[in-house]
Amino acid sequence: MIQRKQVIPGDVIAKGTYRYGSNIEKRGDEYIALRVGLAEVGTDGLKLNPLTGPYLPRAEDEVIGKVADINGFGWVVDINSCFDGFLPASFVFGREFSPATHDLSSKFALGDMIGARIESYERSRDPQLSIRGHGYGKIESGEIIKISPTKVPRLIGRRGAMINMISEKTGCDIRVGQNGVVVVNGPPEGLVKTAKAIKIVEEEAHSADLMAKIEAYLGGTEVGK
Amino acid sequence: MEGLRLENKKKKLIDDKGKRLDGRKWDELRPISLQVGLMKNADGSAYIEWGKNKIMAAVYGPKEVHPKHQVLPNRALLRCRYHMAPFSVDERKNPAPSRREIEISKVIREALVPAVIVEDYPRTAIEVWVEVLQSDGGSRVAGITAASLALADAGINMRDLVVGCSCGIIDDHVVADLDDTEDKEGSGDMPVAIMPNLGQVSLLQVDGIFTRDQFKKAFELAIEKGKQVYAMQREALTSKFFGGEPMSTEVEEVAE
Amino acid sequence: MKKNYVVETIRKAQMVQLLVEGKRMDERALDQHRPLKIETGIIQKANGSARVTLGNTQVIAGVKIATGTPFPDTPDKGLLVVNAEILPMSSPYAEPGPPSEEAIELARVVDRGIRESEMVDLTKLCLIPGKSVVTVFVDCNIMNVDGNLFDATSYAVVSALRTAKMKKYIVKDDKVEATDDIVPVPVERTPVSVTMARIGDRLIVDPNAEEEASMDMRVTITTDDDGNVCASQKGEASTISPAHVLEAVDTSIKVGKEIRKMILEAVK
Repeated sequence: MIQRKQVIPGDVIAKGTYRYGSNIEKRGDEYIALRVGLAEVGTDGLKLNPLTGPYLPRAEDEVIGKVADINGFGWVVDINSCFDGFLPASFVFGREFSPATHDLSSKFALGDMIGARIESYERSRDPQLSIRGHGYGKIESGEIIKISPTKVPRLIGRRGAMINMISEKTGCDIRVGQNGVVVVNGPPEGLVKTAKAIKIVEEEAHSADLMAKIEAYLGGTEVGK
Repeated sequence: MEGLRLENKKKKLIDDKGKRLDGRKWDELRPISLQVGLMKNADGSAYIEWGKNKIMAAVYGPKEVHPKHQVLPNRALLRCRYHMAPFSVDERKNPAPSRREIEISKVIREALVPAVIVEDYPRTAIEVWVEVLQSDGGSRVAGITAASLALADAGINMRDLVVGCSCGIIDDHVVADLDDTEDKEGSGDMPVAIMPNLGQVSLLQVDGIFTRDQFKKAFELAIEKGKQVYAMQREALTSKFFGGEPMSTEVEEVAE
Repeated sequence: MKKNYVVETIRKAQMVQLLVEGKRMDERALDQHRPLKIETGIIQKANGSARVTLGNTQVIAGVKIATGTPFPDTPDKGLLVVNAEILPMSSPYAEPGPPSEEAIELARVVDRGIRESEMVDLTKLCLIPGKSVVTVFVDCNIMNVDGNLFDATSYAVVSALRTAKMKKYIVKDDKVEATDDIVPVPVERTPVSVTMARIGDRLIVDPNAEEEASMDMRVTITTDDDGNVCASQKGEASTISPAHVLEAVDTSIKVGKEIRKMILEAVK
């Protein structure tokens, strides 16, 4: 059994001895919420799923960013965070990269959307991006939808259950960045339904039967089947 | 002599039945309303009406620090600006920040910082903009109350909310929540901000003469009234994020 | 350095493609403004006030009345001062500090429309010629930016002035005295500003932030109640063709009529 509790900063989630996750502070024998969110009190562990907050970069995260600036050595990518991501030109052009011979904007221009992985991030340096691997690189088309980064886990669902359901029922390809940027491709009516479904997830992320709500909204029919 | 005559001419701020000019009892707050998340661009925002005060607070961040030399390696830089619109007061105010606004910006910042877990956001800036659209007595505590909600709305990690209330002395009586007239005509004003769950004080200013007993009474009243405003803060925040359902004690059990 | 707003390449491509078909991303017609909401009397301490919400752009204007000294070249006219501040809370790209070039242009273009249309009868604000006149300050707080500050600010200023009231001043023994009588600020006309952006070869009315970030050129044309042009301003580092200038004038007259009705309804 898990107890769920709606909390705001300063609220006591539980008293006693527990393991606890982020956005929680221990004060004496009390565990205090640091964010507005849903706290889960399990038999031995405490968890706080925040409903609002910024995206803080983590190594290995998959993000979707926008080229915000180009300098001699790479691309500055807006990843909807307090820090811009940096994609070094040598990661794209290889070791023979030279600012004199390679035109960076021929590869990614200002405003281009890029699917990337955060290769490394330490607190003393801006996050470094990489596009090595399948499916990374420039995003050529699609509808851009932005959601609160804290709601990404709910949009994806347990092992992708939520996002797969939306995708199947709308016939759309949905790509979700951990930073809250979503790109959707598909038939026009599917795009509209997907956008609405994502909006419901965003607005009702705190409700327990979210999956059922989305399923009810999308109906039983599957587009194109 | 001159002083005495002035004293006599002063209008009475409390009548024989103990009612204040606007009809309030000595320990009664003015009407307060709070709304969270009205501004579209800001990461977090809150609007407060408290008496005639109308104040919008908005938060951006954490974001990159400009200029770079202000970067703090191990924590966030909290910036705060309290600003009054030129039309917010009786006589038009010059839009450039006054010395009063600069000082208030500083004390508001120092009232909020203790609640913000600045260590969670090293090398970033968190900006708090407090815009007074209409000013009445107690605008700094109203501004702090709104700003702390805007920070929570932005999802900045906080130990507690911060809430303010000011108490003071009119006609030699300690009263809660001075309005403009009482602030100007009264003999003392004490704005206080607290972190209600932590039981700590994060803003204290005193302006005017208080005896030891009056000080204690006003200070304790400010804390008590601050807790009353805190209940409204909770409700405003809850209503935005959980659709106004009661939440503080509600526990729902879910089978895993 | 502060960065500017960059529109995503794929969104801009969609925007340009739609414009070719005469459509916009938010499904508006090319000459259609966003939903406009005008609320007046929101600041009781001001002589007049208005909050204008144009799409997601929000502006609050407040009027303050004081007495002052006239300019030497207009000794028999009151003073009108329009000032705008793009608040740091209004967008992630705004900064605190003295008014930016952008904020000053904004205030001056709005001022020009009001002044040249003779909206406020400044001659009625003269108290003692050469010595004392009424000064009308209109201060604008830009609360949230989503494009087209020119029109939103102009509508806010016009609505605030249209509802402004002041103490009646009298002159006694060469001295100005404020009475307890309340009179309206002498307002005669209702100038309406209409701003258009050019993206490629299309002119669109009331550009939002995304459209502004993609535009080549911007033009504001203010018209008065008789459909005369009273102020205009071309902006941004590109040109406009003579044919587009005349198209913009016609659009401004047409759209201006509709918005004038909405303003007059709101200030009733």
